[in-house]
Amino acid sequence: MAGRGSSQRTVTLLLLVPFFLWLFAFLLLPAIMMLISSFRNEGGQGFTLGQYAKGLTHPLYTTAIRNSVLLSLFSAFVGIVLSVFAAYSFTTFSAKARDRMLSISNMMSNFSGVPLAFGFMVLFGTNGLLTVLFKRLGLPFLAFDLYTWKGLALVYAYFQIPVGILMIYPSLYAIRQEWKEAASLLGASAAQFWQRIGVPVLLPGIVGTFSVLFANAMGAYATAYALVTSNYNLLPIQIGSMVSGEVFPRMEMASSLAVILFVILTIALWINERMLRLARKGL
Amino acid sequence: MSFVNIRDVTKSFHRNTVLNRVSLSIEEGEFITLLGPSGCGKSTLLRAIAGLNPIDEGSIEVGGRDITHLPPRKRNVGMVFQSYALFPNMNVFDNIAFGLKMDGLGKDRIRAKVEEMLAIIDLKGKEGRYPHQMSGGQQQRVALARSLVKNPTVLLLDEPLSALDAKIRRSLRGEIRQIQRRLNMTTVFVTHDQEEALTVSDRIFVMNHGVIEQAGSPSEIYTSPVSEYVARFIGNYNVWSREQLQGRAFRGVPGEGAMFAVRPEAIRITDAQAQAQAAADTAPEGEGIVADGKVSLVSILGNIQRYEVEVSGLRVTVDTLSGHAPDRIGPGAEVKLYIPAEEWKPIRPSA
Repeated sequence: MAGRGSSQRTVTLLLLVPFFLWLFAFLLLPAIMMLISSFRNEGGQGFTLGQYAKGLTHPLYTTAIRNSVLLSLFSAFVGIVLSVFAAYSFTTFSAKARDRMLSISNMMSNFSGVPLAFGFMVLFGTNGLLTVLFKRLGLPFLAFDLYTWKGLALVYAYFQIPVGILMIYPSLYAIRQEWKEAASLLGASAAQFWQRIGVPVLLPGIVGTFSVLFANAMGAYATAYALVTSNYNLLPIQIGSMVSGEVFPRMEMASSLAVILFVILTIALWINERMLRLARKGL
Repeated sequence: MSFVNIRDVTKSFHRNTVLNRVSLSIEEGEFITLLGPSGCGKSTLLRAIAGLNPIDEGSIEVGGRDITHLPPRKRNVGMVFQSYALFPNMNVFDNIAFGLKMDGLGKDRIRAKVEEMLAIIDLKGKEGRYPHQMSGGQQQRVALARSLVKNPTVLLLDEPLSALDAKIRRSLRGEIRQIQRRLNMTTVFVTHDQEEALTVSDRIFVMNHGVIEQAGSPSEIYTSPVSEYVARFIGNYNVWSREQLQGRAFRGVPGEGAMFAVRPEAIRITDAQAQAQAAADTAPEGEGIVADGKVSLVSILGNIQRYEVEVSGLRVTVDTLSGHAPDRIGPGAEVKLYIPAEEWKPIRPSA
């Protein structure tokens, strides 16, 4: 039996080999190369911390980091608040309507990147449908410049919401009607229920979803690039332009910025993990 | 004037009448049970008392106070749910203390009251545990304590034992009854389990299609069902219509009544041959109903021995205490059945 068990295990491991090869070739190897490259001089020689020093001090890059973090925090915050309310309203629907709304959210969560940016341009661009309409109606204050921080924030929040809904919905679904009933019979108002039971129970889900939305926005490239190309300074756009946009590619600088991006996401995940542990106490 | 007065309560869901002019009253300190199969309206009535289901018509009065239109949190009723409904983010102490905090009590008073409750439910030393760290029985005891600590005017128990396994169920129902007696707590218990209802209640209300079919003490309900529905629901009653009995080997059937119920344990079973030999010892047959039949099946249900007897094609269930019936009666045996006249209960046929 033992022999058969171990041979079975060998077969199982063999079946995993292609997966690990793939992982190594397209994730691990580039990551290692990137890490090595980030410590090289321009031209790919020697060892230096200069790329990092530049990345963390040069106003061009610090602005990019700040812009990216702020935009991601903002869109994740707006996304989480709106998706909590939307997902909660889904739980009150009939099963059929609920499933339909979840399907729509699922579809919308895949509608991002360049097509989404173009969608917004058609509606809100300089000559966009709604922009022109608002101007004609004499409501120019409703039209805004899509190609600024405001526009980016709107588009980012837009693609965050369906992702947020899909991620937070299971937690909301787990809030049981009997808890509300028991709380009300014990003298709690609806607000007190949410304050003392609803939100604490949801907190792990909210914190987890927030960090995923933050990472989602930090790494978003295509949407931002299609919308503002290099008119707005964001970390992924900086990295992209160094790799493919300039006359001479600057792989080393790009690598160090990518590592910085990676470190920011790691810190975000670490904070998320700590908060989860706090929030999960007793769940 | 009773402590709880429910008058003409009517409730419909989507034109489906779930409670149809239900009236009942409960004395202070009484333990009553709403008994019936699912869909009979018992939980809806309980939730109406709690204020969780608003009613269409009627009134509910508790302790002289009309609570018909009060929101749940103003009613001061306690409720225990089948699924325990403990707050998962709070430990035992905080779960029990929740209602007291909502009332704005001081920390010291809360601690004293919670500790008193912990002693009553026998969970001292477990106040730091979270619901997921406890067994179902323990969780339900915490839920009970959480309701009782606010000293509610009425305690409502919505199938509190149904999610537990048989052994815990039996011990917990005894415990609930004991605590209820000690605190003299007016209690409404909902269950579909007739054994549970018979064991714990002062009075039972058997419900059917949104009306109360019969109300009475456990022994009244058990020994004198008024309708076919109650007789069939409450135990293993033999239920026969007059048409079914006609032309069959029953002698001495009373001339009145359209339908009858007989408890299996009220029927005396004797070996037909032995009966003939010792005719002098038996009870006079004139005061009861006598039937001749043939045993088709004998089974042991623990302390009960059950015979299925065919009386000219009609099945009669007879129970005796195990070890108290003549050994010779096995499948195929010719037997004589004797039913005392007072055990032959005329009942109302149910639709």
